[in-house]
Amino acid sequence: MIDTSLMLSGLIVGVIFGFVLQRGRFCMNSAFRDIILLKEYTLIKAVALAIIIQMIGFHLMAQMNIIQLYPKTLYWGAMIFGGFIFGVGMVLAAGCASGTTYRVGEGMMGSFVALLGLMIGGLVTSGGYLIKLKSTLQPTEGALKAITTADLGVDPGHLLGNTNLTLANIFGLDPWIFVVIIAIVGLAVLIWKRGDEETKMKGSLYERIFKMGWDWWITGIAVGIVGILAFIAFKNYALGISGGWFGFLNALITGDPDKLNWFTFLVIGVVVGAAVAAVMAGEFKLRAPDAKRLLQQFIGGLIMGIGAVIGTACNIGHILSGVPQLALSSILGGLFIVLGCWLTAYVLFMRG
Amino acid sequence: MTANVKPTETLDVRGEVCPYPDVKTQKKVKKMKSGEVLEVLVDYPLSAERIPRSMEKAGHEIIEVEKTGTGEWRMLIKIK
Repeated sequence: MIDTSLMLSGLIVGVIFGFVLQRGRFCMNSAFRDIILLKEYTLIKAVALAIIIQMIGFHLMAQMNIIQLYPKTLYWGAMIFGGFIFGVGMVLAAGCASGTTYRVGEGMMGSFVALLGLMIGGLVTSGGYLIKLKSTLQPTEGALKAITTADLGVDPGHLLGNTNLTLANIFGLDPWIFVVIIAIVGLAVLIWKRGDEETKMKGSLYERIFKMGWDWWITGIAVGIVGILAFIAFKNYALGISGGWFGFLNALITGDPDKLNWFTFLVIGVVVGAAVAAVMAGEFKLRAPDAKRLLQQFIGGLIMGIGAVIGTACNIGHILSGVPQLALSSILGGLFIVLGCWLTAYVLFMRG
Repeated sequence: MTANVKPTETLDVRGEVCPYPDVKTQKKVKKMKSGEVLEVLVDYPLSAERIPRSMEKAGHEIIEVEKTGTGEWRMLIKIK
């Protein structure tokens, strides 16, 4: 059983995260899908800003020895396959891992069903029927085995707690070069494209925080800060969603409390925080789509769960937490999550 | 002030999940004629904010977005 202080820190960070996700409507499925489907760039700007803030924050904290960076292992075949099917799954599930989790707190039963699918798909792949698929794509030998800095004979760099590859160390460069360039270019583009999507917010400060959806830049900053808090609290990584749910179902099935992990308490906190935010805003409502859509969301969740285990992380573990560490694994996994999302959105919504 | 605006058609997408409310609204709008008014009923918060944004961007007029109850909104869109 994880110790009480970790449990508490997971819950607290989770409640804050859930509140922010609900107020900011922060869902990466929407963020990526809407680029091609609705030509809507509001959420993707929030995602980009959160990544930039975390990238700066993580590297600063590592520089000050508060944390070490832990880029995920680069199983390139697993990242491509797992990422891609995760992207397919999240469109069918109508929400990514984080979007699905916070919407459970809003009372959306379709997301609850998708979440059940996610947990089942994950456990089936990590320890059940599909374990062969996982071990084939994450082998210890052969062409698909993990590539590390040792394989390439490069130095991992002074900020890392492991020997995995990043955008910086693969070229033998200092990560700050990338951090500074990406931050300057990224922020410049965001300021230039800040656009007119901002809700023309009227009302008191209380209403703007608790009653209305947040502007993208407030959401981006808030999610970025929560990610930094998570890394300080947990030390081994920043935010993650899917692993927490897998641990939750695993502990329920086996009766073994050791299966609960920090992320389990985080995701429980997310549901609570989102529910609190939704109730305060007058947006909590138990609601469900028709049976066909429920089935679609369940299958989507199942595929997301399989993809998250094979690809070693969901959209949050890869795109929100891994990309800011400049992890090559997460950049590759994240890229294929986006491709899977776009292909599915095209097939489902855009043909004809 | 909007009580006298009579919607030409009503689209009820309550219960629907992301992004169906938006997609169904766009399809409906395409079939309607200029000057007609579409009433959309939605209970998905993201769409309640996103539909007005994308409709305005497409040149349609948002006459009103009204919160009609817990987690429910009603919007009136005048087709350009």
